[in-house]
Amino acid sequence: MKTGLTLGILLLVFLWYLSFSATRLDRLHHRVETSWANLDGLLQRRAAVALELAHSEFADPASSLLLTATAYQARAASIRDRSFAESGLSGALALLQSDLATGTNPAERALLSELAELTAKIRVAIAIHVDAVTRTRSVRSKIVFKFFRLAGTAPLPMTYDFEDDAL
Amino acid sequence: MPSLNPLKIGIVCPYGWDAPGGVQNHVRDLAEYLISHGHDISVLAPAVDEDALPDYVVSAGKPIAIPYNGAVARILFGPIAFSRVRQWIAQGDFDLLHLHEPAIPSLSLLACWAAEGPMVGTFHAAAKRQRAIFAIGPILEPVIEKLSVRIAVSEAARLTLTEHLETDAIVIPNGIYVERFRNGSAQPQWSGQTIGFIGRFEEPRKGLSILLQALPIVSRFNPNVRILVAGPGDSEETLKEIDPQLRSRISFLGRLTDEEKADFLSSISLYVAPNTGGESFGIILAEAMASGAPCVASDIPAFESLLGEGKYGSLFTSEDPESLAKVIIDLMRDDEKRNALALAGQEHAKMFNWDTVAEQIFSVYEMAKVGSEKVGLASENRSWSRLLNREGDNS
Repeated sequence: MKTGLTLGILLLVFLWYLSFSATRLDRLHHRVETSWANLDGLLQRRAAVALELAHSEFADPASSLLLTATAYQARAASIRDRSFAESGLSGALALLQSDLATGTNPAERALLSELAELTAKIRVAIAIHVDAVTRTRSVRSKIVFKFFRLAGTAPLPMTYDFEDDAL
Repeated sequence: MPSLNPLKIGIVCPYGWDAPGGVQNHVRDLAEYLISHGHDISVLAPAVDEDALPDYVVSAGKPIAIPYNGAVARILFGPIAFSRVRQWIAQGDFDLLHLHEPAIPSLSLLACWAAEGPMVGTFHAAAKRQRAIFAIGPILEPVIEKLSVRIAVSEAARLTLTEHLETDAIVIPNGIYVERFRNGSAQPQWSGQTIGFIGRFEEPRKGLSILLQALPIVSRFNPNVRILVAGPGDSEETLKEIDPQLRSRISFLGRLTDEEKADFLSSISLYVAPNTGGESFGIILAEAMASGAPCVASDIPAFESLLGEGKYGSLFTSEDPESLAKVIIDLMRDDEKRNALALAGQEHAKMFNWDTVAEQIFSVYEMAKVGSEKVGLASENRSWSRLLNREGDNS
């Protein structure tokens, strides 16, 4: 009788722990989604600014071509190739910025300062997203989560390798 | 800062609002800055005297004093505090919660446990790897994990976080109102060959004893040197340990008001921060730099990074009075070097201005609330309070 009761209580505690863990993992997945949505939005805005720069007067034909190509590539990339494509765009933008730091008109300077602001935000957004992903992955690799399939059918979140120095 | 879409933000301060402290000052300045930019702010904090609170602060009850990290922390937890936290969250209808020090057993941790939705956490403390925190890590982890974004106030605080809780953070420094310090006016009674020190000098980790041990060496080279100590504490106890001949070289000024502090820092010819550890940011050094005082600090990690490895202020070997004396004598002798250091520091201090810092914090808020859901009680807490309410109805 006594052992039955103890077992019952232990089972209840364990069931509570399972439901708690499932909620926890659900929250983490949600965090990964929001941080990705945030990063994705910022990257899209950057591609738009890059295209605007490419069409402006101060980009020479060669860099205009390079910018347009990399910006479209970044927009069209699948999530798997995304970080690679975005690094390409970062490189193209860095090339252009180093050439055009001086002697531009107000409209172009506004674009460049918007770009600088976006770059700072993207850097933070990447850090947030990477942290959410590593957290989720490390929790999902725990034995309880694996054994009871608490992740359900949610796909394992993908890490985002951004070349920091290219930004 | 865009005030086109004003946000409703709940900020939780874990330490007693009435007691002086770095976290409290940071929360107060941040809240007032955001309010002045059109946002709706409510701060939840423990408080002794509920009548003396500004109208944006909500009291969660009286704090309990507990020794922590070389000082006394006034914190608050327990079932009554927890129910107040839940009530504050449920009624607040917040767009976002900003929790300060959520790893300390106080209100922020309770709020982090009770809430669900966009949450930002700021970690202030820097401490060496501690067994106790290491042991409760597995319990803290699922709670801290709920924060959408973590902020650390310095590299030292970030390191503490990665070591204890294995999670990363974005570094955003503490803020100061640079203007207030730049506009301090020099007072004759504090000017001359004066070395300034501000802080609760009775706490050993503030390192006043290191500075006092360096005094005999310094006074041999510079007989006119004076040490001015500002801050609360019992000066007689401290003076007892000093060579009677040197006692006249030291003055205790007691606690200074904010205006007096700006004047004080503008008057002295050198500011010394001899702290031996437990320091995460060093806001007082940022303030001294903003006032244009040349700074000397111990080479603990927080100060080293704040002073740019010596670019914006001179460093000495921590807990070594001889090394400190050498740096002081060197600077006191060389006006040109001292002025150059002061100018570099003043320029550097601009990055800690609230305009810059709050902008960075606000951009983190925006990132945390992508998806624009509101803050509410977490599901496990909703069922819990429903259960409690039903019991309440029956009785």
